Amino acid sequence: MKHKNWELKLIFFLIVFLFAAFLAAPILLLLGKSLWNQGFTGEFYAAVLSQKGFLEALGNSFTVAAASAVLASLIAFLMAYAVHYTGLPQKMKKAISAIATLPMFLPTITYGFAIIYSFGKQGLLTRLLGRQFFDIYGFGGLLVGYVIYTVPVAFLLIHNTMDFVDKKTLIVSKVMGDKTLSTFWIAVLRPLLGTLAGAFIQAFFLCFTDFGIPASVGGGYEVIATLLYNQMLGGIPDFNRGAVIAMIMLIPSIGSICILQILERFNIRYNRISNPELRKNTARDVGWGISSSVISVAILSIFAVIFVVPMVEEWPYRTAFSLEHFVAVFSDSELLSVYVHSLLMAVMTALLGTLTAYGAALIVARSKLSAGYKKTIESIALVTNAIPGMVLGVSYLFLFSGTGLQNTLLLMILCNIVHYFSTPYLMMKNALSKMNAGWETTAMLMGDSWFKTILRVVTPNAMSSLIEVFSYYFINSMVTISALIFIAGARTMVLTTMIKQLQYVNRFNEVFVLSLLILATNLGAKALFSWMANHKFVKKEKTNAKQKENFKRA
Amino acid sequence: MLKLDHIQKSFDGVPVLRDITLQVEDGEIVSILGPSGCGKTTLLNLILGIVEADNGTISYNGEDLTHMAMEKRGFNIVFQDYALFPNLNVYQNITYGLRNKPNISSKEEVEDLIDLLGLREHLTKRVDQLSGGQKQRVALARTMVMKPRILLLDEPLSALDGVIKESIKDRIKTIAREYHLTTIIVTHDPEEALTLSDRVLIIDKGNISQYAKPEEIVHQPKNDFVRKFILNQLEIKRNNIYALFGDMTQLAATM
Repeated sequence: MKHKNWELKLIFFLIVFLFAAFLAAPILLLLGKSLWNQGFTGEFYAAVLSQKGFLEALGNSFTVAAASAVLASLIAFLMAYAVHYTGLPQKMKKAISAIATLPMFLPTITYGFAIIYSFGKQGLLTRLLGRQFFDIYGFGGLLVGYVIYTVPVAFLLIHNTMDFVDKKTLIVSKVMGDKTLSTFWIAVLRPLLGTLAGAFIQAFFLCFTDFGIPASVGGGYEVIATLLYNQMLGGIPDFNRGAVIAMIMLIPSIGSICILQILERFNIRYNRISNPELRKNTARDVGWGISSSVISVAILSIFAVIFVVPMVEEWPYRTAFSLEHFVAVFSDSELLSVYVHSLLMAVMTALLGTLTAYGAALIVARSKLSAGYKKTIESIALVTNAIPGMVLGVSYLFLFSGTGLQNTLLLMILCNIVHYFSTPYLMMKNALSKMNAGWETTAMLMGDSWFKTILRVVTPNAMSSLIEVFSYYFINSMVTISALIFIAGARTMVLTTMIKQLQYVNRFNEVFVLSLLILATNLGAKALFSWMANHKFVKKEKTNAKQKENFKRA
Repeated sequence: MLKLDHIQKSFDGVPVLRDITLQVEDGEIVSILGPSGCGKTTLLNLILGIVEADNGTISYNGEDLTHMAMEKRGFNIVFQDYALFPNLNVYQNITYGLRNKPNISSKEEVEDLIDLLGLREHLTKRVDQLSGGQKQRVALARTMVMKPRILLLDEPLSALDGVIKESIKDRIKTIAREYHLTTIIVTHDPEEALTLSDRVLIIDKGNISQYAKPEEIVHQPKNDFVRKFILNQLEIKRNNIYALFGDMTQLAATM
């Protein structure tokens, strides 16, 4: 009498196949490459570890990633606090959130060039302020780049938790006679500790594995990402050593994901969101208003060059307004075809990726398949979260070189789907598990098949989450470089890999024009997706309203 | 007539239903009553067909249902949280089943149900604009359109407050009477069970504690469990209410 669930099982096996072929196989091959030379051997590890500069680069990576992560978490906390715990005007709060997340819409490699053109000897800020603040090539440049890169992630994490922290505890703490600092600790900091640690780890992981920023401002300050790149695609490639470096890069990544898993348990969960009136406090609001404005202006000023440089004749010598660089890019058919590639890749990644995440989430959140199936999916999501893009890219280089998939757009799409799978899956799972558990049974009793139920009931109600997932995949595909740098071919160049190419020949005007193109595309896409999610399918807002209503009733 | 014969069910080796044998007559309202964890929801799921019994048989009018798929049994359920589809409006929810089985209810029958449940003025509303009681009635109408052979209700009143509760109770009774519909209700509230149903099935730790008419349960409780956990609650309530009204009548007398 049991419903056989064959549809879900089919989806399950498709997903398992996808990740077996494009995650497990390449990573295992990578492991093999690092350990195999006509028999098991540790020689490559020994060689890499004793290689001149390796341990220093590893140490550099740890130092600069940790410093950046601390700073990014702190800045993100300040900005999120201003949004949640002050009486700043609504418009200002919106602006703060927008600026904090703005860097997400640009590839990291662009930040590097933005820093060069802001803080360099001829940089915009250097000229405006009359002096250079720090040496941009090396620790300083990396730090600034990494901080900008990771503030958005840290901000979103903290912002999200602050949304759920019960603001009424502030009032309780006050009426219990707590001093300001005790209140801050018990009602704000303590509930956020898990998230703050999580934000730090996440930021650390991103900095440690990023390629774009060291590629542009690393200079002589070697980090493990540049080492890996040079070992694989540099002057004297050594694939076995490259495999070893990739494996070593994997270790802290896995470590940080494990810590995140443990931290999960420390997160305090509140069932209801309550937003009681905050007390009026002008000093507080002015203080936070100024500090968050300063941070926002700092972030914006670094990006200002992206707009300024390509719109003048020749930075920094002839600074009259000119659109010639835009004209040049748009009349260059090669660059345009690169843009089309990027768009195609992003759309296809978003489409197929959303389907994959949806299928996986349906199995875990809305099926009666046994625990084994669900655990498999959960582990896949966890593993994809721990694999840095560069490691994935290197392993694809090993596995798919010489096959029909080498350098194809399809491979790049699959790579992105696997690389970014974890967050879309979690978003989908979250949305689906919140839905009424009785829908499938009810619809089936009304004569629906499983597929009809999904089509008629679950999908329409999951639409806003599906669009969010689509948007996530799209934007990340537009800005990613770390994996693609190893697998994009001459004819499947996308914008980010093209930027890297242009860097070699010092065509920075084009770099900035292409960056602006990415930014414009992402902002346009984001606007379109939010409009679709809010306008056409208004479910989300209504559930929020419902939560509030429930709260009132209780 | 629904017949359960020596039904047993365990989850991961833990017995939830030990040995359940019972009959429900056609057109009867039966409540399954017991504390949480007693196995009453499992019993409901067994009858509906979501869960399969380890041992024993289920039959309806002589037809063996034990291994029949849920959607073929012709039973239907209204869930505690209603499981309405929020992407559809009230009318679309009510007529959902007609998309698959266009002839199961005629236009007039659907209209009758809408009137009987007082939903006429809400038909174009979105689900989230409804109150709890209205949602309950929509879910009830949606199920009734399918003309179930047996209607199952999972805690139909627990999410509703005072006055609405009494009115939904009346609707359920009306529907069961009008359509001569066998109705099985799961509840943890003795007052609800004893005032709503023709017979009450009290379950304790996976066994039938007593299965009888409400007045029989009140006057001839079969064992300590029924006395302590079912009747005791009602007596406390009765005393509270008497105390309340008693004081007020005294008050009224002195004035």
